Amino acid sequence: MSAYFAFAKSAVMTQLAYRNEVWANMFGKVVQVFARVAIWLAIYAGATSIDGISLQQMITYALLGGIVTGAIRYETIISMIGRALQTGDVAVWLLKPVSFPLYIITSELGRAAYRLVVLVIPTVAAVALVYGMLPPASLFYGAMFLAYLALAYAIIALISTLFGLVSFWLLTSFSLEWLMQALLNLLSGQFIPFWFFPKTFGDIAAHLPFAWIVYYPAAVWLGRMEQTETLIYFGIGCGWALLLGLGVAWLWRRASTRVIVQGG
Amino acid sequence: MLRQLRLIPILLQMNLRAQMEYRGAFLIDRIAMIITYASSLAVIWLLVARLDTLADWNWGELALLYSFHTLGYAIGASFSFTQMRDLEEQVRLGTFDALLTRPMSPWVYLVFARFNIGYVSHISLALVVMTWALLTIPIDWSIGWVAYFLASLLSAALVTGSIMTLLGAAALAWTRSNHLYSLYFGFWELSRYPLNLFPSVIQGILLTVVPLGFMAAVPVAVLVGKPVPLLGELAPIAALLAGPALLGLTALFWRYATSRYQGAGG
Repeated sequence: MSAYFAFAKSAVMTQLAYRNEVWANMFGKVVQVFARVAIWLAIYAGATSIDGISLQQMITYALLGGIVTGAIRYETIISMIGRALQTGDVAVWLLKPVSFPLYIITSELGRAAYRLVVLVIPTVAAVALVYGMLPPASLFYGAMFLAYLALAYAIIALISTLFGLVSFWLLTSFSLEWLMQALLNLLSGQFIPFWFFPKTFGDIAAHLPFAWIVYYPAAVWLGRMEQTETLIYFGIGCGWALLLGLGVAWLWRRASTRVIVQGG
Repeated sequence: MLRQLRLIPILLQMNLRAQMEYRGAFLIDRIAMIITYASSLAVIWLLVARLDTLADWNWGELALLYSFHTLGYAIGASFSFTQMRDLEEQVRLGTFDALLTRPMSPWVYLVFARFNIGYVSHISLALVVMTWALLTIPIDWSIGWVAYFLASLLSAALVTGSIMTLLGAAALAWTRSNHLYSLYFGFWELSRYPLNLFPSVIQGILLTVVPLGFMAAVPVAVLVGKPVPLLGELAPIAALLAGPALLGLTALFWRYATSRYQGAGG
């Protein structure tokens, strides 16, 4: 276990070495978050609420929307796996007494923790100062938000790893990065909460694992669900995480038996 | 000069063969790209479906904006993006030095030997959406309109190509430039929406320091007869001049950067 903690820690240290890039990224992020809020302001265009969602709630949703996807980079996980496959490094990992997928996940979670603290929280706070942001609906929802947040990181890391492992069969990780982006665009609630989706589409999306990455954490913060419902959906999310974890373990077992290293 | 021009088709042919070596992966990558771009168009559709208009733009006009943006970007980026993004690595490893010793302009070699045909996915999606949009929205068709459409599209492609090349040249001058691309793509995402959607600070940035407003928002507003914030009456001519002006600036900066280049690897 301590090995994986060390992977995460070393990833944080590497990030600290490139501080200039952090500033550039931060500026880009602030603009992006500002713009997303601006889009919602334009959509509301003076109306105080649409479908029972107030403008203040929608701004809060937009700000919370970047907390997970702004910190973790799914594309890094997928491309790290793809690159290890392409360069043949994956063979070296098979010799080590640690799990390759867990190494990939923990080092990205280390970077994500760093970005969350240095990049995401300050950005959200800065934009919140300008446009305002609602506090969690109650202490219960605040606490559940944190639990959902942890689950969100686990789910996005596992889905990305699953996608990355598929490159063992496709021999290209590029298309998997793009597909993951398409799925996140539509099914995570990143841009539009499911309340504004056509009913059937929204219902389906709300039960796919992507929904736990952006939609549920934000919906819980806003207290959009009953307390029991909040707990039930947390359970379903954990079920998805478990299933995805088993999927990663199974796919990695199958993938590692198919590795043919061409380079050296 | 003439000899360099003659070399271009040979470089292109060589590059095409190399990219076609992995046909299956190439095809899968193209399909994935189309799906992703279609998904971001779907996000815009979902927003408009609910409310009919977004900042006074209807779905047909927004689809034209999106397809113009994607098409202009794809044309410009196929001559610049991957080539310039990888320049930093080439500078670090010292492989760029090898280009300097070749008997041709390093820019011509870089751009054409690594011309990216992958953008065929963007172009196909953009053309389909564009055709649909042009048939849907009422347009006063005229030769002048079509000429303006084509000229402003070319200018938009030059905006993309120039900015990418500017960022690449920054790597030659200062060895690191890749973090600038994440900044670029932050603004890039905004440039698919009408300018009047944003607060005036962002509008100002998109028309000056990071002039991605000229990728689509300004020319398409002119084409469909919408007012352009900040520019007003100047918008039509500004959209046409933005590309050539940035190209000139980029050419000067590229010269400066190559003259300053000292190498970082070895």
